Amino acid sequence: MTMAARNIKTGIAERRLIEEAGAPGFSHAGWFDKARLAALDSFEAAGLPHRRLEDWRYTDLRQILEKRLTKTEETSGRSDAPAGLLDAVDAYVALIGAEGVEGDFSGLPEGAEIVPLGDVLDEGWVRDAMDASVFGDTDAPQAAAIIDLNTALLGGGVAIHIAHGVVLEKPIHLAFSGNGTRHLRSVIVLEEGASACVIESHQAGANAFSDFVSDIRLTRNASLTRIRIQNDDRSAIHLASDRIVLGEGAVLDGFLMTLGAAVSRNQSFVRFTGEGARATVNGVYALRGSQHGDHFCLTDHAVPGCESVTLYKGVLDDASTGIFQGRVLVRPDAQKTDGRQANHALLLSREATMNAKPELEIYADDVQCAHGSTVGELDRDAVFYLRSRGLDEASARQLLISAFLDEVFEAVTHEGVRDILRVIASEWFVQERSRHHE
Amino acid sequence: MLEIKNLHVTVDGKEILKGIDLSIGAGEVHAIMGPNGSGKSTLSYVLAGRDGYEVTQGSILFKGEDLTAKNVEERAAAGIFLALQYPIEVPGVTTMTFLKTAVNAIRVARGEGELDAVRFLKLVREKAKPLNVTDEMLKRALNVGFSGGEKKRAEILQMALLDPALCVLDETDSGLDIDALKVVSDGVNMLRSPGRSMIVITHYQRLLDHIVPDRVHVLSGGRIVKSGDKELALELEKSGYADYAADAA
Ligand SMILES: Nc1ncnc2c1ncn2[C@@H]1O[C@H](COP(=O)(O)OP(=O)(O)OP(=O)(O)O)[C@@H](O)[C@H]1O
Ligand SMILES: [Mg+2]
Repeated sequence: MTMAARNIKTGIAERRLIEEAGAPGFSHAGWFDKARLAALDSFEAAGLPHRRLEDWRYTDLRQILEKRLTKTEETSGRSDAPAGLLDAVDAYVALIGAEGVEGDFSGLPEGAEIVPLGDVLDEGWVRDAMDASVFGDTDAPQAAAIIDLNTALLGGGVAIHIAHGVVLEKPIHLAFSGNGTRHLRSVIVLEEGASACVIESHQAGANAFSDFVSDIRLTRNASLTRIRIQNDDRSAIHLASDRIVLGEGAVLDGFLMTLGAAVSRNQSFVRFTGEGARATVNGVYALRGSQHGDHFCLTDHAVPGCESVTLYKGVLDDASTGIFQGRVLVRPDAQKTDGRQANHALLLSREATMNAKPELEIYADDVQCAHGSTVGELDRDAVFYLRSRGLDEASARQLLISAFLDEVFEAVTHEGVRDILRVIASEWFVQERSRHHE
Repeated sequence: MLEIKNLHVTVDGKEILKGIDLSIGAGEVHAIMGPNGSGKSTLSYVLAGRDGYEVTQGSILFKGEDLTAKNVEERAAAGIFLALQYPIEVPGVTTMTFLKTAVNAIRVARGEGELDAVRFLKLVREKAKPLNVTDEMLKRALNVGFSGGEKKRAEILQMALLDPALCVLDETDSGLDIDALKVVSDGVNMLRSPGRSMIVITHYQRLLDHIVPDRVHVLSGGRIVKSGDKELALELEKSGYADYAADAA
């Protein structure tokens, strides 16, 4: 490709990202450097995704990042409660920034490792996990292409390896915080029969731009509970892509909560490569002000006999915007697939917007699949009913909103974490309460 | 207890109540009867303070205070309780959680302090038993999947727990079989006391055999067109509302 051709597509926002990234926090001369250069070429050729691409029609990342260049000081806002509450979980805590990985992991059992990604790039399990060829014929190339940005500008990250048969009793808590622009990656590999719970919390500061990719591999009969809480400052931009591969009999219990950031885009690409595996990819989003939260989920049933559940529920207040784009793909061989996907949103204000596009693409005949989407408002009759029994308006609303969301919390299997997630959600209402009383 | 004078109410710009006068003393039970669409439920909603019911003229004094100045939950705390004609289903909120939240909200508003879990549970058991409200029902989402009769019994349980001063029962007898009618009426009668007044809205004399009223009023076309003692209900049962509907038209 000639330089001239490159420059047509690589605009000011792309160049700024490349400049900002600087040198990575680790040095690696081998395979990854080649991958990085290839990704940089692809990114420069394609540029940032924009609204004319179907997968990005609701989130014009190019325009958003161009605007950010001219943006001056923003008012920021965020509750620090989630971070504080998560401290109550007895976990192996890893603080993760561009500088590296900090934490005391001496208590980890044999066979469990938490290490800076840059230190282990040459390990086979890391390289395999970062190899996207398993997604080669992905059904969502437009969405997946943004991962090139992360590969090209990767500054660091963390790698977790749980060896064959090792069951980690305590959760691992990956705490991400920081400012400015960061491109980080997590690699999580559970070998055969291993089991773990990984909590990820995000608390980026004002005007931060965070770009995360998680490469997750669950080998035969491995079982992972993964909780992701995004509570960035409400002026930040947050981009996250999960590539998750499940082998035979593997179980993923995934839950994410989107509370923060001005603009966030969460992508999950789940692919089954072994029979009898089960993936739950659930989420809750609660947005207000002019927050924009986009959730893109592709579940790819490439083999028979797997089960997937995607349930998202959101509450949108003020002039916030929620987006759910979901696709369940059942390939011709994937008989006996059970695939379910639904998004339900509650609009708390007339200015709030929800765009939902759940899709089923089924090429096998013996399958059970369902999808659904609803957008509603709080039931005014129910609010009156509860108030007539003495609850003040804010409590009545909170009770009804919590009840609406609770189905998703209920599905989180880790009990201690589930309770804390509920408390974190109720914190969101405390903020609502103070506003409604103004 | 309750003093309503020349009450006019509009809903969506349409006048539904057209000058109601009603005075209820402490401990009295008043029945309100009247044809469909005459404004009975409207009156009950106005008392409870529901949005969209605009008082355009007249006054409502409750325990000597202007009721219309209070919002819905303040009225509940002051002692107004409305058992709805159609209790609302609230998915996701278990009946038990709801009852606890409501009881404590009201207790706090009345300066009584919250009940702890044990004392609350004891109280619910005690009040639920005579109403045949089972533990299984208490675990279910509020009113969701409850039969018509179960919904009405759950309303009376709420009433018993919230210790109101004025109970408004809107067609609590509709949809009840004969046994359930007895259970519900007994529950209501247990709550009769010198300090507690009741407005019982019904279409059927049968309920008033169980809950014997001090006064009976006929509401028609948004006005009280006739008042009398309990014999009036018997008369209505025979003659219907034809005479009164003509008056109101
Ligand atoms: N939101 C509304 N807009 C316009 N008219 C309304 C509205 N709500 C109620 N009405 C009208 O007000 C009148 C009184 O209704 P209400 O429910 O109070 O009657 P009711 O006496 O309780 O009747 P029923 O015996 O059938 O329960 C009816 O004509 C009804 O159609
Ligand atoms: Mg009625």
